[in-house]
Amino acid sequence: MKNISRRSFIKLTSASAVALAHSMSIHEFAEAAGQPPLPVGTPILVIVTLNGGNDGLNTVVPYSDSIYKSLRPQLAYTEEQVLPIGDGLALNGSMIGLKSLWDKNQLAIVRGVGYPNPDRSHFSSMAIWQSASRTPIKTGWIGRWIETQPENPFLAISLGTTLPALFQGEKRSGTVLPLTGLTPPTGMLASDYAKTSKKTRRDGQLSASAARSMRDLFTVAETVAPILKNPAPPAADLPTVIGGNAGGESNLSAQFETVAKLIAAGVPTRVWSVSLGGFDTHANELSAQSLLLGTVSNSISKFMSQMRTIGRSRDVTIMVYSEFGRRVRANASNGTDHGTSGPVFIIGERVVGGFHGEQPPLNALRDGDLAVTTDFRSVYGSVIESVLRTPVDRVINGWNDRLAMFTA
Amino acid sequence: MLNQGFKVSARQILRAGLPDYGDIKTAIGIADVGAQPKPDSDALVPYNFSKRAQLRNMSLWWLDQMVVQEHPFVERMTWFWHGHWATSYSKVNEPVVMFDHIARLRKHAIGDFSQMCEEMILDGALIYWLDGQLNTASSPNENLARELLELFTLGVNHYSENDVKEAAKALSGMRVVKNSGLVTKEPRRSYFGTTTILGVTGNFESVTLARFLSLTAACQRFIPERLMYRFISPSASMMDIPKKSAERAKSSAFKIHQAFGTRQILPTMEELVFSDAFKDPVNAQVKSPVEWLVSVFRALQIVPSTCSQPDLLLTLLDTLGQRPFFPPNVSGWPADEAWLSVASSQNLIRAAQIFVSEGDLSPLIIVPKRERVDALADWLGVAEWSDRTRMAFEGALGDAARLTALAICSPEYLVSM
Repeated sequence: MKNISRRSFIKLTSASAVALAHSMSIHEFAEAAGQPPLPVGTPILVIVTLNGGNDGLNTVVPYSDSIYKSLRPQLAYTEEQVLPIGDGLALNGSMIGLKSLWDKNQLAIVRGVGYPNPDRSHFSSMAIWQSASRTPIKTGWIGRWIETQPENPFLAISLGTTLPALFQGEKRSGTVLPLTGLTPPTGMLASDYAKTSKKTRRDGQLSASAARSMRDLFTVAETVAPILKNPAPPAADLPTVIGGNAGGESNLSAQFETVAKLIAAGVPTRVWSVSLGGFDTHANELSAQSLLLGTVSNSISKFMSQMRTIGRSRDVTIMVYSEFGRRVRANASNGTDHGTSGPVFIIGERVVGGFHGEQPPLNALRDGDLAVTTDFRSVYGSVIESVLRTPVDRVINGWNDRLAMFTA
Repeated sequence: MLNQGFKVSARQILRAGLPDYGDIKTAIGIADVGAQPKPDSDALVPYNFSKRAQLRNMSLWWLDQMVVQEHPFVERMTWFWHGHWATSYSKVNEPVVMFDHIARLRKHAIGDFSQMCEEMILDGALIYWLDGQLNTASSPNENLARELLELFTLGVNHYSENDVKEAAKALSGMRVVKNSGLVTKEPRRSYFGTTTILGVTGNFESVTLARFLSLTAACQRFIPERLMYRFISPSASMMDIPKKSAERAKSSAFKIHQAFGTRQILPTMEELVFSDAFKDPVNAQVKSPVEWLVSVFRALQIVPSTCSQPDLLLTLLDTLGQRPFFPPNVSGWPADEAWLSVASSQNLIRAAQIFVSEGDLSPLIIVPKRERVDALADWLGVAEWSDRTRMAFEGALGDAARLTALAICSPEYLVSM
């Protein structure tokens, strides 16, 4: 066997001048980790990505609309099956937790959210949502925001194993934290890897990212490891009967649990990203989607209760979105194909609860699909301004529109 | 830079072909497990056990091929196509059907792309994965049609929404036997009549549609882009074809695109490997977890299926986000920064300690200490170590295992140039 990696057969020895940058010891990493806790009152954003294209019409249900019933007879909910919230609309029957937040004016539902000329590809549409750009660009909107802030590996943390495009910056990106936490090596191994991951100006962009992710491992792990051993903050004011406890252990609830522990410990993180897949319901949609929405709803209501327990509920804003809604008419498999606009949920004590944006009318479909009544960048705009406290056009080039979604 | 020696050895690698595998299925025990037993049946446990064992065997068998073959070019290409026609066991859930899916990709991996398309559009795993069996004339399901246009042949924005609807009609009426992958077309559920796709009207059905799409100008542009994305760099600018004809003649992207005019994959890859863009160290990319594991195992001469903990390997790849037969979605695996995170750093370090403990480190051990840094570069195929990394090696020169574990997690190794 001979080692032939991708290009070892053209091994190039490009002799370039070597410039060595400043070095950082393992002790300095440890010091960097000991950052002051996030002051109470600092806004925190939790982004919930629903992967696969959530069917907005069966999430915020126009149950009394006869066109709704006639276009998807097998998939239409009746009034008894849903949770009415006014305007002829209702939340999916599984979303009891979110309904109670709605009743407390802590849930804003932005209707008909999308962008002009909707793209029905999962891949492209998610790229558009995560980059906040209609044309392909490499960076995510949170990635660009990260680069407006001082370097800090805790600033934005995504739960999972790989970096979402959302968090990707030009030079600096957000941090990925596996659910199981981090236990990096110690002793000699740690100091060895601290050396190979020192900054050097010779690194190209990718090598610099590789080095940084290894440095950040030590910084982040040192802080996070003891916190994850803590019990999660109690959801004190939540009756267990409708609480997240009833939902069972889904991956999403585990992600929220980790976020809750870390926020409770004062980790200096301003943006969190969690996600749930399975929304691509081309077949047998009803049971699959309500199970998923129930998980989303339970996880969020439990999390908000935990935030109340630790006194951070006024600081936290949650945003829930998916890459597109689905076709109004059902297909033959009791599912729906890829569609256009859908609702975005913004949750928190500082949001202006209620409906925002117009409900796309079912009697004025565009080629069988819902119209887009609110541009998603306007939703981001208000979040960037009111939660991330940054001028909108520093994050979304040339965009200034916002919705009045937050109280002062 | 480009010398004759490189050309000869690269040709040799590209044309190495496949070893005679014989009857792989019998050798590693891949077979139809039949329909799923009833929930309370005694047959359920052996059924599930058998599926798990088959999946494990075929995963390790494939990794073995990438590691042990002298020139595993066809397997590298098969892996590329796995990410292109990205179909996951997570939904297909039948080992033999996934095995046959990959076998079809292997059969055409360096062959004729049009033939590959004709065969893949009738592949049981692919159809099932994209709900093709639910797509009927009376009620279309567009999943398969859309991805065929967007991800497999044309690229996004090279078709209209109406083309998707029309293509769904052409593909309607397919039936898939879940446990065997057998595909049939049922006239009763199929659309009969003409469809208009990309402005061309005809009696399209699966195979004619797949061939038609593969021969379009959009496809000639799209497939070379995907090859450049994975084998050169995901950087978009490198793939741009200049407008001015003088510049165009020198453009690597243009030459590769021209080579794909015949839809022959091997000559296209030859053009790619001999292109300026391929040699340009600016075009770096992060090794994906499978690429990393395979290149480490080739250097350290570790065979996946016979190493001390084969199951740990599969778990490791799973944790790193890239396990064979499980692409995350229909657009395949991500690239570059997506593989770089504190989470992956931790897993790579951990894995490295295990690998060096059972790998063959003799290429390093036989070399005197002061020559080890250069020997490491040759051995692992790294062009050059940075001073930062050289300094880190300083204290570890006497310990070949420690040195190797450092090197295979270094930024220079994680990023291929």
